[in-house]
Amino acid sequence: MTDTWERLQVVFRDIFDDDSIVLREDMTAADVANWDSLNHIDLIVAIEREFKVKFTTAEVTTLKNVGQLAALVDKKRASKS
Amino acid sequence: MDYAGLVRASKRLDPAATSQKIKIALLSDAATQQFVPLLRTLFHRKGVLASLYEAPFDGIELETINALSGLYRFQPDLIFILNSVQALRASFAKRTADAQAFAEEKTRGIVKIWDAIQSHSTATVVQSNFVMPYERYFGNFDLKVAGSFSSVVASINAAVGERARSRTGVLLNDVESVASWVGRRHWFDDRLWDLAKAFCTLDHMPVLAQNMVDIALATRGRVAKCVVLDLDNTLWGGVIGDDGVDGIVLNAHGDGEAFYRLQIYLKELLQRGILLAVCSKNEMSNALLPFEKHPDMVLKRSDITVFLANWSDKAENIRKARDILNIGLDSMVFLDDNPFERNLVRGVLPEVIVPELPEDPADYVRAISELNLFETTTFSKEDVNRTELYRAEAERRDAQASFANADEFLRSLEMRMLVARFDSFHLPRIAQLIQRSNQFNLTTHRYSEADCEALMNDGEVLPLYAKLSDRLGDHGLIGVIVLVAENDELVIRDWLMSCRVLARGVEQTLMNMVVDEARKRKLSKVRGEYRKTAKNQMVEDFFARFGFIQTGGDQNDALWTLSVSDYQFKETFISPAAELVAAE
Repeated sequence: MTDTWERLQVVFRDIFDDDSIVLREDMTAADVANWDSLNHIDLIVAIEREFKVKFTTAEVTTLKNVGQLAALVDKKRASKS
Repeated sequence: MDYAGLVRASKRLDPAATSQKIKIALLSDAATQQFVPLLRTLFHRKGVLASLYEAPFDGIELETINALSGLYRFQPDLIFILNSVQALRASFAKRTADAQAFAEEKTRGIVKIWDAIQSHSTATVVQSNFVMPYERYFGNFDLKVAGSFSSVVASINAAVGERARSRTGVLLNDVESVASWVGRRHWFDDRLWDLAKAFCTLDHMPVLAQNMVDIALATRGRVAKCVVLDLDNTLWGGVIGDDGVDGIVLNAHGDGEAFYRLQIYLKELLQRGILLAVCSKNEMSNALLPFEKHPDMVLKRSDITVFLANWSDKAENIRKARDILNIGLDSMVFLDDNPFERNLVRGVLPEVIVPELPEDPADYVRAISELNLFETTTFSKEDVNRTELYRAEAERRDAQASFANADEFLRSLEMRMLVARFDSFHLPRIAQLIQRSNQFNLTTHRYSEADCEALMNDGEVLPLYAKLSDRLGDHGLIGVIVLVAENDELVIRDWLMSCRVLARGVEQTLMNMVVDEARKRKLSKVRGEYRKTAKNQMVEDFFARFGFIQTGGDQNDALWTLSVSDYQFKETFISPAAELVAAE
């Protein structure tokens, strides 16, 4: 969906408290300072809230990078509408 | 109290906006990381700079048993132990003994952790209980089966509560009550538990964190002591001056029940030691009418320690009540249905706690109760008698007015004072006085009950309490002095007193005794220290008044010395009670 990427970026910047974050498809936790398992659940819950979607445990644990995350958000949003 | 907002705020806290520090350790079999930013922010809102220590995940046993653990190196003021029902469920599933034996073993395990902590640290232990599980294996029949998981959790909670009751230095964090207030359906988040061992839903972590802050602040003496009440439309419906005693709305059933319920709530607070004051814009004779004539009044005139009914503004009256009671404004809660009065008091006296009251009186009790304003860390016999003590004080003040001079008045009181070394019977009240005394407190060391117990058992130290009584009643335990001999000096490590007993020669009597003690021990000097706080200005020149000379330190932390041979013994009108201080 058109605005997924932009809105995701806003959530990332907020959660990691860093306005310089620019999301890339292949970005992983290793690329973002403070992205640990704690922040991960803050991030997931914030994304769910932002897009009014809900991920399953399996979906959350199998995500490999930001690209897959965005795709998952798009899929959830599409199935909602 | 929104999770994300509090986390965001935690990144921008200004340490300069705090006036106190606290060290908190978190131990849990769930993840504690999410609580750290929440606690930081919520403490900061109360002017407290919190440093936090997180024990490694599931490290409760390891960290508490090992004397060299990071936990003890951190030297926390408080250790919060958060036990999750999720972890309990997992270990229940693997039980080898029967369910009741399992419950007993878990309880013993928890008490063992307290033992371990208390053998290595004087930190206050704050033990959580378990949130009741949401699943019912037998349905309603769960309650009839002692071995059902819910019965087991309930019995562990009861047993832990009971063990904590008889234990100094252990407080309870009633997580079950917080969770059931939120609702278990909303509290638990199994997915977050699976992903990150999160204790509960992120949304509800703030209310638990606030509960922890409330407990911690109470250990620092930040507790409410008095509720100041408006009358018309707060304590009863209608306006007594207009409607008359038959016209006001107040009854046990129906439209006046909301006010009746508020009065019952206040009566319970009173019975646990919270003082009640009235501050009403009314003629005194009208204001008193319901207390004297209305059959459904739960509160009686004698329940009200300070009764102010006049036409001056409420802030001024609250100040007056503060002066009479000698308590801090920040320990007063003001209840008034009128938003104008609430805002006036908030504006003029920002320290006073002014809860927002809902429009419907039916919701008053719930709104007040939700704020958890009446947290405490102790409960002693004195609490039950507090209203009586303060009322006797008001009577003393009346008597004072009718005597020609102060000496004559003091002599007429026939005061008797007992000074004795700390004993286990008085420890709760001693610790309470130490936590609560702000104004007449020279060094403001906040010893916990466990610290006091350690002092009691320390032969090198002379920890004393003083009890006062007079013709009109018993003041109870009103002072604490901790002395220690160093070289040729008797050092006053602590000296604090209840402000109820000022200006009657108590401090003079005690100083006579301290100097006498130095003499007996052949020490040539007495040394004292004054550590300035926001509230203890009253005793800034305390040592100077007794002829001490400042010999070191600065304005904020001054050292004072008295040469024993120079001391002029003070005349007082207090005679020793049966046993005076026992020499070591």
